[in-house]
Amino acid sequence: MKTEAIVREKASMEVEQPPAAGGGGGFNNGNQSSEEQKFSVPVDSENKATEFRLFSISKPHMRAFHLSWISFFSCFVSSFAAPPLLPIIRDNLNLTATDIGNAGVASVSGAVFARVAMGTACDLVGPRLASASLIFLTAPAVYFTSVINSATSYLLVRFFTGFSLATFVSTQFWMSSMFSPPVVGRANGFAGGWGNLGGGATQLIMPLVFSLIRDIGAAQFTAWRIAFFVPAFFQMLTAFSILIFGQDMPDGNFQRLKKSGEKPKDEFSKVLFHGVSNYRGWILALTYGYCFGVELTIDNIIAEYFYDRFNLKLHTAGIIAASFGLANLFSRPGGGMLSDAVSRRFGMRGRLWALWLCQTFAGVLCIILGLVGSLSVSVVVMIIFSVFVQAACGMTFGIVPFVSRRSLGVISGMTGGGGNVGAVVTQLIFFKGSRFSKERGITLMGVMIIICTLPICLIYFPQWGGMFFGPSSKKVTEEDYYLGEWNSKEQEKGSHHASMKFADNSVSERGRRLNTSTRPADESTPSPTHV
Amino acid sequence: MASRLVLVASLLLCFLAGTCYGKGGHFSSLKKTLVVTASPKKGQVLKAGVDKITVTWGVNKTLPGGTDSAYKTVKVKLCYAPISQKDRAWRKTEDELSRDKTCQHKIVAKPYDASNKTVNRFEWVIERDVPTATYFVRAYAFDSDEAEVAYGQTTDAKKTTNLFEIQAISGRHASLDICSICFSVFSVASLFVFFYIEKRKGKVSK
Repeated sequence: MKTEAIVREKASMEVEQPPAAGGGGGFNNGNQSSEEQKFSVPVDSENKATEFRLFSISKPHMRAFHLSWISFFSCFVSSFAAPPLLPIIRDNLNLTATDIGNAGVASVSGAVFARVAMGTACDLVGPRLASASLIFLTAPAVYFTSVINSATSYLLVRFFTGFSLATFVSTQFWMSSMFSPPVVGRANGFAGGWGNLGGGATQLIMPLVFSLIRDIGAAQFTAWRIAFFVPAFFQMLTAFSILIFGQDMPDGNFQRLKKSGEKPKDEFSKVLFHGVSNYRGWILALTYGYCFGVELTIDNIIAEYFYDRFNLKLHTAGIIAASFGLANLFSRPGGGMLSDAVSRRFGMRGRLWALWLCQTFAGVLCIILGLVGSLSVSVVVMIIFSVFVQAACGMTFGIVPFVSRRSLGVISGMTGGGGNVGAVVTQLIFFKGSRFSKERGITLMGVMIIICTLPICLIYFPQWGGMFFGPSSKKVTEEDYYLGEWNSKEQEKGSHHASMKFADNSVSERGRRLNTSTRPADESTPSPTHV
Repeated sequence: MASRLVLVASLLLCFLAGTCYGKGGHFSSLKKTLVVTASPKKGQVLKAGVDKITVTWGVNKTLPGGTDSAYKTVKVKLCYAPISQKDRAWRKTEDELSRDKTCQHKIVAKPYDASNKTVNRFEWVIERDVPTATYFVRAYAFDSDEAEVAYGQTTDAKKTTNLFEIQAISGRHASLDICSICFSVFSVASLFVFFYIEKRKGKVSK
């Protein structure tokens, strides 16, 4: 009870600091007597939005949402711009199936480390600068795709372009900084899902741009090169928008918050340590490799698969391949929302069960996809498969924000990086060269999904429980769990207050259970703003 | 639940079975009655968009008279040699003609007149979308139902003799190179400009 009062005092103290400390927000300019900063959406004690209003662009929450998903979308468009045009590119550059497979692996392997690095960068300099820097630095790789002339150069541009997929981490970090626990699942789901949409949209956009340019009169082998300027330019534009219109946190940008003392500077080594030493981060990294990693793999191979197996036109194969990625419009956000809904009733245990069920079923559908030989059945199975595998991605990031508060960026980065590792491993084993036919590779990938989803059973939160066990009988609270990341010296300095606030807000993960014996006696409502 | 599984399984089986039966002719059932020649010599390298290939085709004179009476059209195609099919499943040779991907570039299609005894000839400028590879030339004869009935090719049955190469256009242009470089430099420079602005803003608010 006492600690609660101190936290609330501190919260109101911080809020009353001069508004100049914040870069945005709809609060009264210069009016220092207002008790709270005014935002156009309701907020919690950390000023994170408690409502997710999809069609608003209010500062700073929804604006951050739109900036992050559009920039991530553009990175996806660029990273997967080559696959739908491969039937042309492979003839222009005289590529073999091995070359194509290697480049596919390269396209997703760069982001493995880039994502982890991005996680740490977000923790240290904020998502706005981190993501814009990455986007500006990878745009040249997309521009240079127009001038490649060999298998090696093809591999190199795809490798460096793929680094931009690390913007996923900054997207999730930004959403987790702007949105409160009850809605963080859906915020992450929409941002991630609408970004991943780029992988589908590009299968439509690139063949279209290519045919337009070719019909104007360019030779095939020149038209595809010109087409690459479109994603490159779009990507650059989004970086500009982030820097001009974006803001790291509800209260302002990292730089200014750090200087005014509101955001204490954290130690890189400690942040990294608390991230990598949390086993849940590793398990989620593995399982994410088999929902998101599978999604990336399919983005790389599916257009060619339909073109070659069913003798379709390039355009048609592109449309079908696109429908896989386009399902992200609703399936990944749907996963996030379902995770939030399940959590309201069953808490974190519900989130874990939902994820396991959804991803396992996706694996079954993947097995079937490789076995069907008719075009129409294949398309139907693929679409259902896409809904489940993408929903699983959304559900994963309904769990990630709760694994760690101090090292949120590192955990997001590890999970995100794990997604790419899954893509790398899967493509290396099943889709490189001519060892397996594509259909066989798809079926085997489905089997691997089911196996690699089992470790979710091992995730256990002492304060909330796991799939098979309830919360610890030692009555561990959310505060105990999150404050466990700070040692006593750091707590004396007061560095842990953000974690405390988060711990309070995360009580919603207990679910609505009749048995209230696990709750501390002094807390009757989850909302800490009541005094 | 079990009945649903049975239904799905039987549907799958039906579709899988359907793919086993190919529609259309098989290459192995075609008769090699046409004599086809192409102007490139063995091992010659030609440039796409620039060089020409002259193809000739006609029925083999040593065969009995009515062999070609059913032929209505002849399509002459550019086909990949085995070395260019290696590790490239999209150029695979299949016996079933509807699934065969060996000959993907059409040189010419002409109606065939059995009564005309002269050898047919055509000169073709190699199109700019022909990729770099090793090739031979094959002609298919079609009957009035547009089904293949016979063929002829410039190489032997194992596709090892008389092969020639074509060099594709690169598709690159100097203007594209320059644009790429300019935009890339702009992108990186913008980043540094923004960093500088942020640093200055930070100093001012202090």
